[in-house]
Amino acid sequence: MAFWQLTRLRVIYPVLFVLTLFIDGTLMSGLGGILTHFPWHVLPTLTLGWAFLGVQFDVDNELPLWFYVTLVGILFDMYYTGIFGTYTCAFLVAVAVMKQLHRVLDERLLSGLFLYLAGLVVYLFISYLAGFIIGLANISLLTFLMYEVLPTVFLNVGLAAVVHYPIWSFFQFLR
Amino acid sequence: MKKIFSSRTVVTLIVGIIVIVSLIAGSNWWAKRTNTPPFLQRFGNDLAGGVSRVIAVPTTAIGRTANSIGNLLDTFEENKALKAKIDAFAQDKVRLQTVQEENKSLKEQLKLKATLTDYKTISAVTISRSPTTWQSQLVINQGSNAGLKKGMPVLAGAGIIGRISEVNTTNSKVALISDTSSDANRFAITIKGDNGDVNGIVTSFNREKNQLIMGQVTSDNKIKKGDLVETSGLGGVIPAGLYVGKVAKVSTDDYGLSKKIYIEPAADLGNVTTVMVAISQIGAN
Repeated sequence: MAFWQLTRLRVIYPVLFVLTLFIDGTLMSGLGGILTHFPWHVLPTLTLGWAFLGVQFDVDNELPLWFYVTLVGILFDMYYTGIFGTYTCAFLVAVAVMKQLHRVLDERLLSGLFLYLAGLVVYLFISYLAGFIIGLANISLLTFLMYEVLPTVFLNVGLAAVVHYPIWSFFQFLR
Repeated sequence: MKKIFSSRTVVTLIVGIIVIVSLIAGSNWWAKRTNTPPFLQRFGNDLAGGVSRVIAVPTTAIGRTANSIGNLLDTFEENKALKAKIDAFAQDKVRLQTVQEENKSLKEQLKLKATLTDYKTISAVTISRSPTTWQSQLVINQGSNAGLKKGMPVLAGAGIIGRISEVNTTNSKVALISDTSSDANRFAITIKGDNGDVNGIVTSFNREKNQLIMGQVTSDNKIKKGDLVETSGLGGVIPAGLYVGKVAKVSTDDYGLSKKIYIEPAADLGNVTTVMVAISQIGAN
């Protein structure tokens, strides 16, 4: 493989996908004082955001998106929780929902953000449900919605709005 | 009438749900049962920990700057309050050193080896924190190479923040006391009351109030708001005398038969950049 081929989307996309997984964790650790300041529990979801950008800009025409989503989900479960299934399932279902919606929505910014919002809410609810399965759930649905879902959606959808066009240009460049 | 789902889709969905639920429940059961994860998982976690260490450098710097700016706003008032306390601490420190010396010589006279209060600490740096709804775990940069084992208590800032939940070769996971899992916060504690100690275990964590709960307390010793809570050392793995927090509220349970004590944790669980793992010295020599 020649060096210039390493700058192609099919190489850069999965590498950055895995990196976002680690960035989420280090952000949560480095900014923990702000993100988990009681009663808030805000999650950085750059990994899901990167999957959303993949769906929004149709990267699955050039690379096996489902394979990478599954791989990142397994890595996420293994590294962060040690319990397999929760986030693999959450990533897969969130991407499936975003892909279905992408068929009926256009590629404008607001449609894209709605797509991400739907994926993010599904992702968070699956993680909430998994807490009940393993007996870890200790907050009410209302508290979860108020102090976790809402701020997480604001933070991550806001971030997606800022990076939407730069990433679109970046993907065009890589293609 | 048009069917929304074909029977094949319904079967696939049901099978998928059963597989996922079994996987989650099974791996949770397995994680609780084993002391170290399987080789492949340990290898993957060590590799991932290496990548995290590199990525953590800039993000930790950003986090520290943000915290410093936040702290700067309260510095003046805080400085005045701390200056007022410092003389009392100097006196306490001198007294502590004297008592420690006395304790050491008494132990030698009695030919006692390590007791429940003897422990050494290993310092570690937080390299990552799980960005998850439940199981808020820290990943620290010390593992089985440094002698860490599952279940050891972890301290940060003012007090205990959790326990080691998984040990890899070069890094470990710390389950925070804010988790409801039994790995995280089921440890033996003692409350220093005015007319005697009250022993028990932490039974759960109320995330909506950010407080630990010590349930099923039947002791008649009087406990009031502000009483200090520390680990009792019973059980063996966690040394005695680690500061847990202060009593926030005392109430009776639903049937009025026993007391339920709410404890305000001493440590700030949000901002944990460095930690110390306490290793009990009982049986070390």
